[in-house]
Amino acid sequence: MERHGLVYDGFPSFEEIREANGRPSAERLAKGPVAVCECVQQIPCNPCEGSCMKGCIHVGKPITNTPRIDFDRCVGCGLCAAACSGLAIFIINMAYSETEATVTFPFEYLPLPEVGSRVQALSRAGEYVCMGEVVRIQDIPKNDHTVLVTVAVPGEFADDVRTMKRAGAPLLPASPRAAEGKESLPDDVLVCRCEEVTAGEIRRAVRRYGAGTVTEVKRRVRAGMGLCQGRSCSKLTMKILAEETGKRPDELEPTTSRPPIRPVTFGELAKGGRMDE
Amino acid sequence: MARREVVICGGGPAGLAASIELARTGAKVLLVDENRRPGGQLFKQIHKFFGSREHNAGVRGVDIGKKLLAETEALGVEVWLHSSVTGVFTDKRVAVLREGETKVVEAEKVLICTGGAENSLNFEGWTLPGVMGAGAAQTMINVNRVLPGRRVLMVGSGNVGVIVTYQLLQAGAEVAGIVEAAPKIGAYGVHAAKVRRAGVPFYLGHTIIRAKGSGKVERAVIAALDNWKPIPGTEKEFDVDVVCIAAGLRPTSDLARMCGVRHVFVPELGGWMPEHDDGMETSVPGIYVAGDTAGVEEASTAMDEGRLAGIMMAYRLGHLTEQEMREKKEEVSGRLSALRLGPFGERRMNAKRRITEGRA
Repeated sequence: MERHGLVYDGFPSFEEIREANGRPSAERLAKGPVAVCECVQQIPCNPCEGSCMKGCIHVGKPITNTPRIDFDRCVGCGLCAAACSGLAIFIINMAYSETEATVTFPFEYLPLPEVGSRVQALSRAGEYVCMGEVVRIQDIPKNDHTVLVTVAVPGEFADDVRTMKRAGAPLLPASPRAAEGKESLPDDVLVCRCEEVTAGEIRRAVRRYGAGTVTEVKRRVRAGMGLCQGRSCSKLTMKILAEETGKRPDELEPTTSRPPIRPVTFGELAKGGRMDE
Repeated sequence: MARREVVICGGGPAGLAASIELARTGAKVLLVDENRRPGGQLFKQIHKFFGSREHNAGVRGVDIGKKLLAETEALGVEVWLHSSVTGVFTDKRVAVLREGETKVVEAEKVLICTGGAENSLNFEGWTLPGVMGAGAAQTMINVNRVLPGRRVLMVGSGNVGVIVTYQLLQAGAEVAGIVEAAPKIGAYGVHAAKVRRAGVPFYLGHTIIRAKGSGKVERAVIAALDNWKPIPGTEKEFDVDVVCIAAGLRPTSDLARMCGVRHVFVPELGGWMPEHDDGMETSVPGIYVAGDTAGVEEASTAMDEGRLAGIMMAYRLGHLTEQEMREKKEEVSGRLSALRLGPFGERRMNAKRRITEGRA
């Protein structure tokens, strides 16, 4: 079964937005500018609440509540759209003209479009919806580089348009090519880069010499004894050990940690030590 | 031997916040950081933070960093930059490599807040130039202003993977897609929605199996997973010159391990991590931990854990009365709890509770 929604598609479905009370009624939308709030997950965040001059956004406590907007009192000023750290609030004006609506969205890319320019209006999925005209740009210091761009689009697309194509961006990502057959992690793949130890050598240390811990692997093949002291490879070695021995990750401890944890020359070590004040 | 009341190892959000709390009470603090500038990873966080006003919500991480720095300067915190702590010992002596010499500082309390390290991922070709941690790519674009490549494949859909994808787009790179082994997107939905509407597709239930190219990454191959194993015949190949790995982080706690701090394995917080109480003190009296070292979370939680550790150390050193300590601790603990609410924070909240109650 095809599953839809924010955690599968990367954007909220209409149902999710409706359930979070993010969408004003059709009646309210018809009256003019109003906020649409597409914040549907319970995350600890509330700048929108304090941004509204009319006090019509409520998050309250706990701060993981999704925002509730009093749409009847909302005038669509856009303060919340610029204040939202998640860029999840948009201003829709269905009463812009007889045939057109405007969508105001936060935009944090350069170059900014110019007022009057024709742009490709895109959906929540980044797909082309229609052409639109930039009718307003709000770039004020208070908004700290979160620019509000207002684009006029045919009214029927106001629910779909949520951004515009960035200068120089490919419209649709090129589709990936199919590739030849797959192999599992081969023996010659490096695991410890500092000491140049491969996956095969680590497996051999386990199979032939019975190494069962990261420390034993280290003593046998030097994995983790280089410059970085196992920063990259200790977890990778643990993964191979877990596969080979059936141990759980909490049964595989890191190697012993000893000073110095950064490379220190003998000179640097000998020179110091005394620091009288 | 030099003496300080407190030595703080690591000048990221946790260390800076701790130093501020301590200096406010008049404690003699030394903050040591490896870099030329303190702030840890804050200076590459160019997005606006979540939370509420007390958590600096709506402020970009880089600006929070500047504010913390200004406060430490105003309070006259002693800061050793370009200096590495190479060892911490049970008797709370701290070895610091500074200006070509190893200096030993004797402290009454030591705070270890050395952050976390990005997890690597093993696949064919992972050592080719062009394969890098997502955090490394973020440092390149936001700190050094260098684009790591033209077209990127992001592996991992957690907050780091998705935020760095957004910032790569802002920096002018293309992102061919975000690959995620789990069946769901891991990041906050609002972050995912930002990159999705910018045209970046998600490949859920997929993993990278190969990076190809002569001398550098030229292509990357992903495959669908069945029970975490690649399914033959489902490979997709991308024309990319960068592969970013956002496979989570783990606590960097070498310093805590070497001085005997008891460690526990907590998958929700990145695996092996130092056990600590609700005042951030470890099993070794006088040794404290905070931030990602005390379990991988976020910059906002790191700052408050740092403050908490600072308050507790100041109290133990006699710079705060019990009443003052209680009031401050309650305020910071309340903020921390607020950050750990909701479906995303709940697991971390429960994990932290298990640790501080000694049940981990």
